[in-house]
Amino acid sequence: MSKTNANNVMQARDIQKVSVGQKIGKVLSKTLTYAFLLIMALIVLFPFYWMIISSLKTLAEYRQAVPTFWPRQIMFSNYVEAFTTAHLGDLFLNTLYVGLVSTVLSLVITVLSAFAFARLEFKGKETLFGALLATMMIPGELFTITNYITINQLGWMHTFTALIVPFLVSVFYIYLLRQNFMQIPNELYLAAKVDGTSDIKYLWKVMIPLALPTLISITILKMMGAWNSYIWPKLVANDDAHQMITNGLRNAFTDTSGQANYPVQMAAVAIVSAPLFLVFLCLRKYIMSGVSRSGIKG
Amino acid sequence: MKVVLENLTKIFPSRDKKAGKEVVAVNNFNFEIPDGQLVGLLGPSGCGKSTTLYMISGLQKPTGGKIYFGDDDVTELSTENRGIGLVFQNYALYPHMTVQQNILFPLQNLKGKDKLSKQEMLDRALEAAKLVQIDELMDRKPSELSGGQQQRVAIARALVKMPRVLLLDEPLSNLDARLRLQTREEIRRIQKETGITTVFVTHDQEEAMSISDVIVVMKAGVVQQIGKPQEVYDDPKNLFVAKFLGTPPINVLEGKVAGGKVYIGDSAVMDVNGVEDQEVYIGIRPEGIEPNENGVFECKLNNVEVMGRDASVVSTHPSAISTVIRAIISSDIRVDTSKETVKYNIKPHKFFIFNKETEERVYFEVK
Amino acid sequence: MVDSKNQWKAWLYLSPAIVLLLVFTVWPIFNTLRMAFLDGYGNMAAIGGQTFQFGINNFLKVVQYKEFLQCLQNTALLCVTTVPISTTLALLIAVALNSIKPLQKTLQTIFFLPYVTNSIAIGMVFAAMFNIVGLKQGNSVADTWGIINNVIQFFGGEPVNWINAGSSYIANITVMIVYIVWNALPFKILILLGGLQSINKQYYDAAKVDGTPKGRVLTRITIPLLSPMLAYVIITGFIGGFKEYSSIVGIFGEKMGPADDAGRLNTMVGFVYDALERDRQGRASAAALILFAIILVVTIINNKFIKKHVHY
Repeated sequence: MSKTNANNVMQARDIQKVSVGQKIGKVLSKTLTYAFLLIMALIVLFPFYWMIISSLKTLAEYRQAVPTFWPRQIMFSNYVEAFTTAHLGDLFLNTLYVGLVSTVLSLVITVLSAFAFARLEFKGKETLFGALLATMMIPGELFTITNYITINQLGWMHTFTALIVPFLVSVFYIYLLRQNFMQIPNELYLAAKVDGTSDIKYLWKVMIPLALPTLISITILKMMGAWNSYIWPKLVANDDAHQMITNGLRNAFTDTSGQANYPVQMAAVAIVSAPLFLVFLCLRKYIMSGVSRSGIKG
Repeated sequence: MKVVLENLTKIFPSRDKKAGKEVVAVNNFNFEIPDGQLVGLLGPSGCGKSTTLYMISGLQKPTGGKIYFGDDDVTELSTENRGIGLVFQNYALYPHMTVQQNILFPLQNLKGKDKLSKQEMLDRALEAAKLVQIDELMDRKPSELSGGQQQRVAIARALVKMPRVLLLDEPLSNLDARLRLQTREEIRRIQKETGITTVFVTHDQEEAMSISDVIVVMKAGVVQQIGKPQEVYDDPKNLFVAKFLGTPPINVLEGKVAGGKVYIGDSAVMDVNGVEDQEVYIGIRPEGIEPNENGVFECKLNNVEVMGRDASVVSTHPSAISTVIRAIISSDIRVDTSKETVKYNIKPHKFFIFNKETEERVYFEVK
Repeated sequence: MVDSKNQWKAWLYLSPAIVLLLVFTVWPIFNTLRMAFLDGYGNMAAIGGQTFQFGINNFLKVVQYKEFLQCLQNTALLCVTTVPISTTLALLIAVALNSIKPLQKTLQTIFFLPYVTNSIAIGMVFAAMFNIVGLKQGNSVADTWGIINNVIQFFGGEPVNWINAGSSYIANITVMIVYIVWNALPFKILILLGGLQSINKQYYDAAKVDGTPKGRVLTRITIPLLSPMLAYVIITGFIGGFKEYSSIVGIFGEKMGPADDAGRLNTMVGFVYDALERDRQGRASAAALILFAIILVVTIINNKFIKKHVHY
């Protein structure tokens, strides 16, 4: 190893060639990377595009053998029709009501529990917390069966209560918020105690503002959950007065293949999807960080 | 393989676009690194030494100037075609690979006529591992090694493909004091054994002085002085270099030259014939002053710290820029600590004066 | 800091959570186990005062059902196809995204869009894209073949009956794979891109110095260093895959199959809910426990594999 490797030594004219080759290689690989990403992005976006242009076509245009990629006649009336046939207004209100009430109650319960686990000392704290975490391992389907019976026995069938109460406590959110609270130095709490600040005031003035990003993430995920819930509402509250938006949408357009009025159906889907999109565009940062931490859909 | 840097310049665009201020990391660097030498790039953080190293490696592109390996212009050549070995400050060992796999990795990338057989690769890896004395640790993962061992693996990985130039980024900064001493000797030994032209970056002047053939002192992107460590130490070009080299640091005082004499306060301490009258900074190496009853330079005595072989006389002077005036003397010499003051004799070749405005060295003839 | 005042205060704060968890989480665990082992348990009959024998008949019944085996097959088939496909695609997209600067944020947002959709609503869009309108004369004439078939025809292929009456099982499953992969990509890309961005850039510099070709950087450096994240998306992918249900409802409706073969694409979760709606809680519980057991086993196998191959 006392000499440098002869193979590594490059002749002057080779260098010229190599550096040109390098540049071509770089440009080529960048082009390929972008081409791949753009094609994938088009594939990802295509269903949205197809939903929107289909929702604006007349039924006759939609049923043409040769597809058009931009509606010849823009039919906003499809949206009006979708809104009325599927009773989307009522569904919106129902879903919004369930979403808001469960978010607020859930936040209160989560904050109180997380505070107790993060800041208070009591017997059996570690055991209890461990037991809570253990329940996260069990798939939700296992609970659904008994909860269905419980709701029945409580006489909550076809009520908003049945849609809200069983899902108020999320062990995961308690865990998330507790971690967040624990990062706040204990001295702050002790100082507040010395000054005679009450727990609730301390929570409100110090901990909640510091944990705000997490709370916002929880709120968004909870609202998305209400928006996307399908199975549980179908079991316990599938009547007209309490129907949630996804169930209403699916029930209004039962014909999945065949002769359905697709433009109106697509208009309804677009209306249902729009709020989620708007929220996403405004709160992208919170949603993406919330999702990457939770790994839970909705 | 000699390495030539010609007008090498690196300008980083400013991070804040509105402020629009560019940062000149390296400014017009000219230097020829002789074949087979160990060169230390030395300077405080932000002086451009690491940027220079990364430009030699090809990981960063110069804004201007040229880099030659031997007679080849490699400025436009990308890293992998330069045939360099690079040891990162944090070693950048692949954590999921064993020591052996880490060392083999560069060899497995060789293509075409350079391609080696499995056995050749293993032999080369073992040879490199033996050179840095880690051949016993081949099956360990980096996380199971000490900092010093990781350092050796990183060097072995850089050496195994027999690079034309070896580059080391702050090679000792992640090691504790004892290992640092040991490892720097090791780097010296490996460099001498392999004869590979080696450039390393450090902010620790002692480290650079102790093992380099040549040191380059940099400040704010500009080369201050290049030379053999002892030469630079004995003959600093400006106040910055004088202050940067040496532990304990040089004593710095304010003074003036008048009528061929250097004055500190009112007392003339040195004859400097032929030097124009001017305000100056005076630098005196700690080993350049000796307590002497008839000394010309009087200071207020604080205390004497005895550290085995040496003793350090700590005193103060109203004209001093540095907080104390320190003299390093043999501990055999007794200093009368009952006195309030101490008088020193000054060795002329350890005594430098610098123009107060330019901070450039003002040379005078020592008689 | 432990004093009696703190004790009751803590329990007071925790009480709403504990009460709700006892009723809706803890009790169901025991009750579901109990019902699964009471032969032929049905809630209406139980309310009517009927008693049930302890036994494993529910489990035996479930595994003997042809429908259950069909559900198991569908679920397993969707899992083993969609998880590798979506993970590979997500990895490639994440690596590509990580290597570019302009447009990175925009593309990242686009790739995340499918996540913020309602899987039933967008399922209906996919159904429309695959649907053939006005199919007649022995499946050879139609008004509209649907945009997907139009694309196939554009490239010179034959149109396929994807989801309509008379469609094949393979065609149905293919549509489901496409939709589930589309739906699964955003989460995986998000996690993998996050993982990529946290890898120390020096490893790549080191690889560059050694002239490592791109493919080798991917297989020897990126993937091993990303392996914890990969393991995470694969495990959550399998768990989610075994619970697949609403994506099928989105495309095929609650019939869970094409018009002429309802239930052909039903899944494990669908089977549980069907049993529940028929007031067969014992059977539903048994099926849910089997599902749980399968998920557990798959996760354990995954973990074993991970211990061997994942570098933490």
